[in-house]
Parts: sequence; structure tokens; C-alpha cells
Amino acid sequence: MPSRLFARPGRRIVTVAMLAAGLIAGAGSVWASKSDNTVRFAYDQAPESVDPYFNNVRIGVIIGANVWDTLVYRDSITNEYKGNLAKSWKQIDERTIEFDLREGVKFHNGEEFDADSVVYTLNFVADPANKVTTQANVNWIEKAVKVSKYKVRVITKKVFPAAIEYLAGPVVMHPAKYYAEVGPKGMNAKPVGTGPFKVTQYTPGKSIRLERNADYFKDSPKGTPKIAKLEIRFIPDRQTQMAEALAGGTDFIMHVPKDQAEQAAKVPHLQVVSGETMRIVFMQFDTLEATPTAALKDIRVRKAISHAINREAIVKNIVGAGSRVLNTQCFPSQFGCTDEGAPRYAYDPALAKKLLAEAGYANGFDTELYAYRERNQTEAMINDLKAVGIRAKLNFSQYAAMRDAVRSNKAPMTHQTWGSFSVNDVSASTPVYFTFEADDVTHDAAVRDMLLKGNNSVDPAVRKQAYQQALKHIADNAYSLPLWSLPVYYVASKELSFSAYPDEMVRFWEMSWK
Amino acid sequence: MAALAQPAGSPLQLIPTRSVWQRIWRNKAVVVGGGLLLLMVLVALLAPWLSPHDPYAQDLAQRTVPPVWYSAGSWLHPLGTDPLGRDYLSRLLFGARISLLIGVSVAIISGLIGTTMGMLAGYFGGKADLVVSFLVTTRLSMPVILVALATVALIGGSLWVVILVLGLLKWDRFAVVMRSATQQVRSLDYVAAAQSAGASTTRILLGEVLPNVLPHLIVVATLEAASAILLEAALSFLGLGVQPPLPSWGLMISEAKAYMFFSFWLIAIPGSALAVLIFAINLAGDGLRDLLAPEGRA
Amino acid sequence: MHIYMLKRLGLAVLVALAVSMIAFGLLRLSGDPAIAIAGEGATQADIVLVRQTYGFDRPLPVQYAEWLGRTLRGDLGESIYFKTPAAPLILSKLQTTLVLGLLSLAFALVISVPLGVLAALYRNSWIDRLCLGLAVIGQALPNFFFALLLIMLFSIVLHWLPVSGSDSWQHFIMPTVALGYYAAPAFMRLIRAGMIEVLDADYIRTARAKGLPASTVIFKHALRNAVVPVVALTAVQLGYLLGGSVVVETIFALDGLGYLAYQSITFKDFPVMQSIVLLLSVIYVVLTLASDVANAWLDPRIRVA
Repeated sequence: MPSRLFARPGRRIVTVAMLAAGLIAGAGSVWASKSDNTVRFAYDQAPESVDPYFNNVRIGVIIGANVWDTLVYRDSITNEYKGNLAKSWKQIDERTIEFDLREGVKFHNGEEFDADSVVYTLNFVADPANKVTTQANVNWIEKAVKVSKYKVRVITKKVFPAAIEYLAGPVVMHPAKYYAEVGPKGMNAKPVGTGPFKVTQYTPGKSIRLERNADYFKDSPKGTPKIAKLEIRFIPDRQTQMAEALAGGTDFIMHVPKDQAEQAAKVPHLQVVSGETMRIVFMQFDTLEATPTAALKDIRVRKAISHAINREAIVKNIVGAGSRVLNTQCFPSQFGCTDEGAPRYAYDPALAKKLLAEAGYANGFDTELYAYRERNQTEAMINDLKAVGIRAKLNFSQYAAMRDAVRSNKAPMTHQTWGSFSVNDVSASTPVYFTFEADDVTHDAAVRDMLLKGNNSVDPAVRKQAYQQALKHIADNAYSLPLWSLPVYYVASKELSFSAYPDEMVRFWEMSWK
Repeated sequence: MAALAQPAGSPLQLIPTRSVWQRIWRNKAVVVGGGLLLLMVLVALLAPWLSPHDPYAQDLAQRTVPPVWYSAGSWLHPLGTDPLGRDYLSRLLFGARISLLIGVSVAIISGLIGTTMGMLAGYFGGKADLVVSFLVTTRLSMPVILVALATVALIGGSLWVVILVLGLLKWDRFAVVMRSATQQVRSLDYVAAAQSAGASTTRILLGEVLPNVLPHLIVVATLEAASAILLEAALSFLGLGVQPPLPSWGLMISEAKAYMFFSFWLIAIPGSALAVLIFAINLAGDGLRDLLAPEGRA
Repeated sequence: MHIYMLKRLGLAVLVALAVSMIAFGLLRLSGDPAIAIAGEGATQADIVLVRQTYGFDRPLPVQYAEWLGRTLRGDLGESIYFKTPAAPLILSKLQTTLVLGLLSLAFALVISVPLGVLAALYRNSWIDRLCLGLAVIGQALPNFFFALLLIMLFSIVLHWLPVSGSDSWQHFIMPTVALGYYAAPAFMRLIRAGMIEVLDADYIRTARAKGLPASTVIFKHALRNAVVPVVALTAVQLGYLLGGSVVVETIFALDGLGYLAYQSITFKDFPVMQSIVLLLSVIYVVLTLASDVANAWLDPRIRVA
């Protein structure tokens, strides 16, 4: 039996010696990557389509930013908006923005970029009949209108202050002639954009090969890429990815669990970079009339739960470097996000038990906690709940299954995460759960109205105030328990130079070999 | 299927006589395998008394402590702790209960279903055989994951769901083996004698056929028990097995997989325990089969 | 013989139908496909739109009947997840899985035949137990653990083999061992048992008495008889290997049919999943049919009508 070989004292020496031997050999392959200026990236999930409008996985977003461009670019350090495919823009009226487009930009297939590209792309994706995967990214667009060859107007359906944010993020520009000819299927088979990298080979589900776009326009805020080639492979198992990193078969992996990342940092030829992301974690309570756990309708019970979880300890020990405890259900850098005036629920199990007793649950109660990722965090929370008498059974499943349960009122408590599609505006986070849409299991009309006011006002001061009131109201009523932000860990070859950003966007155009 | 035919006319003795005990002792496989199994059952039963800690008690300040034979280990946690700070030795001992329970329950459930179907098919032939053939082939063409996923989605994952799913899926080998074994026994003298004496079908099946196909049944049962215990680990790997914090060995192995390259002992300990259990079951099963076979092979 | 084959064929068709019906029902029961397709962040309106577009709001038997009709006409539909036609998608992944399955089967036989023969020849001795022990190694550990151990040894430490992927024949070595070793004990026991039974039989004694060399006896007579049940088991095991390669394909990133099946189940991709289930059950049934025919040819005694 293989494992028996290790069941002796001095086993550690064997393990370390083995790893050391392997690592010395592994370092050799790394230098192979560096010598032909290639970066090999492994990711776990293959996108269903490479066209950014027809997938909703992180890798799709990453490929989208490397192969395509948007009209506007948000500098992730200063958070200011710069022109990308557009040189400048101005608000004409409360629903219209006019863009002056950059001249001399070409798509990877030689087609010229101009107002036609913008008009065709936006009108195509805004049409629900074309079934863009994430409607929320495009359904605010009413239409795009060509004014002249390099001037275009974008008209929104309602007042939509976050329009620029979306035009700097998921809304990329496709070539009008090519897209009209081949459609999303053709775009998936042979992707064409204006971006710093172009696709040279794509085997769906297996790998994508990219190479540097030699004709990338010099004025792009992204800069010129230094890496010549990029090889993305889809490796579903996290341990296999780590094995590849250890054996030198891959140069860059992300979403590495904290414990493994910390261990990988000790490996000589690897480096670990971690950063906070915009992904927030929170516990949502079903407080509707038909909730499976009636106890949750009582505000004292919800406050008890809030006091029962030791968020600081979990963040410190389990979640990882860069994460922080949150007090409102939004990410602090998002426009409108604040925890001003919101109560802080300190870790106090004695107070929790007292509140439960007051509400009539001196002996606790039974309930279920649904989750779909970060299971170790869920288990730690269940343990904390058990300590105050709340017996929560873990229901761990796929994301779709959990959503199903939420929408059919079967999930009393859920351990959820939300990335807001990296959109830096509260309109992309809190309202999802509190404006009477399908994921709202609270149905508080006052909160809804405050949030909608924030969504639909033009004056930033009015927006901020409305959001602050809504967030405070939610926290006062403990409709949900904001938990923490999630960090992401990247493990890469030591020779690779790169930075981590909170939007989880991997900027291959900035990377280089040392 | 080539089977271990018994010489005609020698029904099995079910109550062991002295000479039988002697034969058992001389069969090293049964002794070693059975002994190991017995030891594991004992450990499983005595788990609450043998465990130094509560297997569910988390201690976030004592996460992933290595076992005592590492420099960072201590006798407080002889086998170390898991990533949530739970004592590994305690989890291992309680996990024995779960793994054994799964093996035995699945073997019983699938054994009952499969043996019934197999015996009926083998004894009656004709339409019964066709129906059972159809059911077996259908079952073998069904992807197990799909059934597991659907069941878990419907009822949620738990120990009993795993046992149910595996029990309802693993009867195929019982059916096939029992069928061919019954076919061979059907033509033996004393069965014909019982038939002409006017005995009812049930009596014949239970009284004459069953004792003679018992060796095959036991062999298949041991193999299916071992296979069920392993399948539980595979289901946990896919996220469809028992739910944490239950310390089943399969789940422990699946959870420890993430730490395999850096804290190898986390996966090696339950992995070794599982391997020993599987070996013991296989050894005992093979030994038993040789034991229950007729004289020519002992 | 012809009636026998017709009966088996009829059975095969019934099985394929039954399996596809059960699979269809199970997948529906396991969750709302509209939510899976609409994805994270979809509003209720999005989901309703998806439901209408794909026809999920119609009664289940109607959906199944419509799928069956289209499939019989050769239209396997389009993958809901990948948005490409299902048939080419499945065919492109089938090759990898088929190669893996056949190689694993060959590996299992390569291990189990010598071990089984040795065990039979030296039955009840320590050689017998050793052979069994060697065969059972592949089944003593959960297959993902075994696979990762192989990776640890041969890729990270020894650096002899690549970790994952399917670009070269070296990429298939570890997956073959991981998958094939699991099937070995069953074959080994069968061969051992069959050989023991045959070696005791009269006509073998006659052959030995006639002075035929031992190797002729073993290979020409005994093994040929012992092979009969092995052929039947091969069909079962190949079915298992094809369907059960999910774990191995996931770990080694082989992008084959097993992994596609797992993805299609996860994403509730009905057209793909139904087609895979149908394909696998057809392959399995054909193999069983073939092995029955082979058995009947090898041993005329076995013609269970």
C-alpha cells in the first residue's frame, strides 16, 4: 500500500526530500517558459463561449479584457475613468451620453473600428432576443445612435448613473461587419477584438492560445503587452493545478485556497500574491411569511445570530490576508457604500443567548444553512451557532441548486457571496437582494424605495444619501448579516512579475518576466 | 459465468463442527482478514471511549497541527488536527463507525434486492429471466453520478441518502452471480427431489437453493461492501456524499485532498485506514470463499 | 441462434429507451434548468424568458417525446451550455474517453491475466495471496487519491511524466494506470476461479496424461475455457470504465466524455446529457450483445434462450 510507506517516524524527511527533489527539477521547466516569453495559465472552469456577452464565468471576463476593449477604462488604483476606445465623452441629457471615438484603431482581422462598431454591438446586445447571458449588463441600454464616423450617442432606458461603469467593464466592442456576418457562434469559433492579445487557437473546454497584438494602438491606457504568448489551459481539479505549479508545468494559477497558498509560498520557485476582492460574503435570512424557519421573523433572533458569529476570528484564521469584516451589505469601494450609522454586532455569545431566550427560544431551534462555496467558513459559522443553541444543518450544493431553494422559499439561511460583476457601484450589489426581485427574501417596501431612489437619481449626493439610509435600515433590522470580503490568492512562478487587483481581473498586458 | 461448482449432492453444513473450526484456523486469509475486521468493528464500537476529544469540537487556534511524531506535534492531539482544529484521532475512530455502517448497510440492501432477483431469474428462467436481464442491463447503463446527483438534489445529502443511493444501485452483481449460481444448483439431485416431494417454491428456494449459493453470496457481499465504502469517497469528491461535519473516512480523504502536497498526513491517515479496511474485507472474503468451497480446494 | 439475437436486440432497444426516460426524469427532478442556464445575477424575468425559449414550461412527457422524435431523426439538438450542436461536441470528446477506456482495459488484463494464472497454478500458497494482494492494491484507495499519488510520484518528484492534459501518449500513462488498476481484481479473481475449475476437470487430466507440455495445457485448453466469463465481464467493465472515468478525467484534465457528462449534469444541459446517456447505453448494450455472441461461439453449452 503506497500510503503505508509514509506511516513511519521520519516521514516528514521523506516528504520534504521528495518535494525538494521535484522542485529542483521543476524549476527547469519554468525557465523554458521565460525563455520563449510565454505565460501558461491554468484555470478550473472553461467558459461556455469565449464571446464576453455569452458567458458569465470569471475566466470569460478575463479573456474579455485581454482580447477586447471597452469605450472607457477605469484605473483600478485611482478609480478614475480614462478613455479607451473613446477619447472623451459628455452627458448630453439625463439619458444620453455622447462619445468621441479614437481614430486609427483596427480589429484583429483588419476591420476598422468606428461608430458602426459601437452602434451594431450595443444595439445587438441590448436586444433581449439575442439572449445575452447576463441581461443586467446590457438591459439598461435603449439604443446607440451614430452621429458621425467617430461620434456616437448612447441612450439609456431610464436615468442610469452607473452607465459609464458598465461601459468600462463588461460592455466590450465587437466588429460590426464580422459580428453581423458570423454572429456569436462565429465569434466563439474565431474570436476577433481590438485588445492587446489575439486568439490564435481555441479548443473549447480544453485550451486557448493567445499571442500579443503587434498592432495594438499606442494610446491605450492598458499599455503595450510585454508577454509574447499566452497559453490558457482548463484544469478542473485544484490539486492538479497545484501539482502543475509544483512540477513547473504552469506559471500562474488563481483562486488558490488560503492554506495551500501559504504553504506554496515556502516553495523556492513559487511566489504567492494575495489581494482583497470586491466579492462580499453575507448570511441572508428568509423573513417572509412562509419562511421555513419561523424564528427568523423575530428581529431578536436575527440580532442573536449576528452576535453569535465570531467574524474577527474567522477572518483572521480562515478567510485570509486582505479580507476584512463588513458591516453593510456592499463592498466599501463601491459608490454609495458606507457603514455610517449602521449598528456593529460585536461577537457576544452571552448576549445572543439572552436575546434568544427573550424571543422564546431559550433552548435554541433547528434550522438549515445553505452554502455553495467556502465550505470551511460555513462549518466554522455552524459551530458558532451551535454554541448558542442554534442547530443549523449544513446544506451544501451547487450555486444553481441553492438559488432554486432561495427562490422557492425553501432556504431559511444562506451563506452567500456576491461579486457585483466587479461593477464599482452599489446599484450592482445591495438592490439584488432588497428590491423585490427574485432573490429578495425580505420584502421591505421602505428599503426598496430608498434603494430605487439611489439607483435612479442623477445627483451623486442624493444617491449617496438614499443608499446610506437603505443600508442603515437593513443593518438596524438585521435582515442579513454582512460577514467579510473575500481575498483571492495567486500562485505563480517567482520569475513572473505581476500585481493583484480587487476586481479579480488578471491583466496579462501588464505582466512580464523578470 | 464460470462458477465454483460444488460436487453434486453435498448440501452445506451451516453449523460449524469442530473439524470446521480447525479448517477455519488453518485458513490464514480468514484469520488475518477476519481478525483485522473484528478489531476495526471493536474500535468503532468503542470509539466514544477511545477518543481523546469530541470529534466535532473545533478550535480555530489549533488548526492543522501535525501528528505527534513531527516536531510541531504533541500528545494532546496524537494524530494532529484538521483544518478546523478538530482532533484527527477522534475523527478517525468515529469515522470507522460510519465507513463500516455504510459497507454493511449497502451490502445488506443491495444483497437483498439482487439475490431475490437473481434467484428468481435463475430458478424460473423464461420471462422472469428476461425481466431481470432487462433490469440489470438498464441499471448498468445508468450513470451512477446522475442518480446520486438527482437524489441529493431532491432529498439533500446525508449518510442515509448515500446508503440508499448505493444500496439501490449496487445490486447488479448480486443479481448476475446469484442467477448463474441458481441455474447450476437448479439441476441438482436434491432440488429435483424436493420438487417431486411437492415442496413449495419458497421452501425450495430458501431451503435448498439458498444454502448452496451462499458461498457466492458472501463473496459478492464482501466485495460490494468494500466497493461501497470506496464509492462513498468518490461521491464525497464530487460533493454528493455525506455532509460535514460527519467524520466519514471518505469525506475526510476528500477534504484532505486539498492539503495533499503540503500536509500529506491529513490524507495519508484516513487513506491508510481505508486501505487496511478494504484489504481486510477482501482477504476475509477470499478466504471465506475458499473455506466454503468443497473439499477439493481447501 | 437468430431468435436469440433478435431477442437480445429487442432487449437492447427497450433498455436504451428505459434509460433515456429515467435519465430525463432524474435530471429534471434535480433542479430547475432555467435557473442554471440563466446563471448568477439573473432576474426573475430573465429566468421566465429562458424557460419559454427552451420550452421548459411544457409538460414533461411532451418534452421527452419531442426529444425522442428529434433524436430518432438524427438531430441531437444543441448544447444549452456551449451553444454548439451536441453531436460534434460529443464526438470530439468521445475519442479521448474511448482511448482511455480501451487502454485501461488492456492494462487491467495485462495485470490480471498473469496474476490470475499464477494464483490458480499455485493456489492457496503464499504466491496465491501475493497475487491477490497485488491485484487489490488498485482498489484499496479511492481512485482520486490513487491518481494524485501517481502524480506526486511520477510528475512532481521523479519528473518522468506530465501532470495533466492529453497532448501526447505520455499524458495517458497515469490515467490508464489509475483507471485500469481499479478493474484488475475482478478479472484476476475470475481468471483464477475459471482456471482452477478447468484444471481439475477430466479432459485436462487426460491431456496431461497424454504427455502434453504444461504450457500447452494452460494456454490452449484451460485459459480458453477460463476466458469465457472474462469476455462477459469485459463488457461490464468497459461500460464502467466509460461511465466511471469522470474522476480520472477530472484529475488529469482529459476533457473526455466522462467530464462532459459531469459538466452537462451540473449545468443541466439536457440535450448533451440525454445524448451521452443514450450513447453510453447503446455502447454498453452492443458490447453485452457482442460478448454474449462471443460466449455462445466459444462455449456452445451457453445458449440461454
